Amino acid sequence: MSITVKGISKHFEENIALDQVDLTIKEGEFFSLLGPSGCGKTTLLNIIAGFLHPTSGEVSIDGKDVTNLPPYQRNIGMVFQNYALFPHLNVFDNVAYGLKVKKMPKQAIKEKVEEVLKLVHLEAFTKRMPHQLSGGQQQRVAIARALAIEPSVLLLDEPLSNLDAKLRKEMQTELRLLQQRIGITTVLVTHDQEEALSLSDRIGVLGDGHVKQVDQPLTIYRQPKNRFVAEFIGQVNIFEVEAKDLQTGNNSLPKYDANHHKISKDQPLVLETTHADDFKNQEKKLVMLRPERIQVVDKLEKSEKVNEVEVTIVHTNYIGDSLRVYASLPEQGELLIHISDTVFEEPPQPGEKLHLHWDAADVIPLVEKE
Amino acid sequence: MLKTIMKSDRQKSFYWALLIPTICLLGFFLVAPLIMLAELSFRGVDSYLNIQDTYTIQHYVEVFQSSTYLKTIGTTLWVAFITGLCCIILAYPAAYMLVNARTSGLRTLLYILLIMPLLISMVVLSFAWIVLLAQNGMINQVLLKMNLINEPIPMLWNLTAVVIALVQVLLPFAALPIANTLGDMDPRLRSASMSLGENRWKTFLRVTLPLSIPGIISGFVIVFSLAAGSYITALLIGGRMQPLLPLTIYQQVVQISNWPLAAALSFTLLVIVACCVLFLGWLLNRWEERVYG
Repeated sequence: MSITVKGISKHFEENIALDQVDLTIKEGEFFSLLGPSGCGKTTLLNIIAGFLHPTSGEVSIDGKDVTNLPPYQRNIGMVFQNYALFPHLNVFDNVAYGLKVKKMPKQAIKEKVEEVLKLVHLEAFTKRMPHQLSGGQQQRVAIARALAIEPSVLLLDEPLSNLDAKLRKEMQTELRLLQQRIGITTVLVTHDQEEALSLSDRIGVLGDGHVKQVDQPLTIYRQPKNRFVAEFIGQVNIFEVEAKDLQTGNNSLPKYDANHHKISKDQPLVLETTHADDFKNQEKKLVMLRPERIQVVDKLEKSEKVNEVEVTIVHTNYIGDSLRVYASLPEQGELLIHISDTVFEEPPQPGEKLHLHWDAADVIPLVEKE
Repeated sequence: MLKTIMKSDRQKSFYWALLIPTICLLGFFLVAPLIMLAELSFRGVDSYLNIQDTYTIQHYVEVFQSSTYLKTIGTTLWVAFITGLCCIILAYPAAYMLVNARTSGLRTLLYILLIMPLLISMVVLSFAWIVLLAQNGMINQVLLKMNLINEPIPMLWNLTAVVIALVQVLLPFAALPIANTLGDMDPRLRSASMSLGENRWKTFLRVTLPLSIPGIISGFVIVFSLAAGSYITALLIGGRMQPLLPLTIYQQVVQISNWPLAAALSFTLLVIVACCVLFLGWLLNRWEERVYG
């Protein structure tokens, strides 16, 4: 079932948690609401679930306006961050909880409970009490309980954030496979960008109560629309630039001077981009460059010094699959470079000079605010 | 390693040292008198009720053979039970309101209202009931003025009045433990129940109520034991002729001066109440073990 959120605002006294949010989540889609804490993502999920009433706006599930329906009439499956298993009921009764509401016959309840517990590989645990289960198992029971009522949508509120890193990765894979097998429309709230990128069909990035961008994971990472999205997801170099009035050269690509990155006192870093058409009409022009897109080269080639620079390493950070290098330009400004673990024998040391080069296609225009 | 053990040992003995004043107080003024009371209850008396050096169980035989005493014990437990039940029923919604108060200011106000009876002497509270319930008290006056009754209704000096007064006096003792368990409860459990299709009332019955059982039991235990031993309220509201054990014990001590019998009655009450409390405590323990391991 699809979910449509139209013009949703939520005010808590003075605070505006959500401001005119519009979203459409397609049928069968795995959709993530991603954002820093306090961005309103959980508020939005609670409004979809019906635990909060929006100050204004409309929520529809499968085309039906549910804005004024209480949560217990929305047929939603919800999984909470702390799982919220009923501590006084065993696994079977937890999963059967929603089925008893529907006054299903005993045998049918038993069959359904066994079916969903099999989905999450917990069929042998029916008699256990929640406190006798590990975090991962409690998590699975919570998912089984939500799925048992055959909800029209599945809402997940940071469901994996209480698990340790290894188990979290396993559960991510399992969750994704399960969702694809059942084909249920799923909304995941998370602050973990990696989780959102790896699980979702589409991601909605939220910041300060606004939707900053809705796109597929690849687009979100490679072509963020604005500074907020670019900085929140992954690491990034951002340059404030001005169009350069260039007489020399026959290169057709437009060139830009970086305002705060300088090679010498009166020579700014020059960038060119193949995406110049994406610049919006705003005073401050921003471009971004992902640190893993920067290549280390033997020597600088072009005479006009475009999209290349010599830097001095300030410090490095080895994280296994790559080396993070923080480097400074000769006069002003810093650059972050990720060097893949496969390209060096001995990591370069602070104080060493590096020659850097990047492609014009990797310089992406950004909008300051949207 | 050894050092930390020694340190923790020293820390432990420090904590014990902190307990010494309390232990002394309890030892001298609670445990010792109780032992003396137990010893007294087995002393023989002569026909002038003088305490003898002999030991006998005749007082306990008297207590359990006299239908008056047995009836008094039964009534006392019944009154305590009804008081406990009424307190729980009245305190639960109050505690629920308190915990779910919208603002912290309102919550504080409700808290103060709730524990107000604890700040006022039981004598004053009981006298207030006399002012209300007496033959020429406020309620009768109003009813007479409105011509709803022709002569005053006797509302004081009966067990119903005692229960009403006890409920009012002891209500906070029931409300506070309930408010505690309700406050500790994860609100997301209620959300989970509603997301599974259960409405507010059924969510209350299937989640909130069962999970507040510990608070209900604790509240009941406190009110029950206080009500069973309550003397002032019973005397002021019920009068000294009511078949309540604390009153009977007082009579035996002050008017009849049969101290060993009074001691036997006291101990009987103590043991019965202790058994009730232990049973409820055992229930509570089993429940918590099941739910929280």
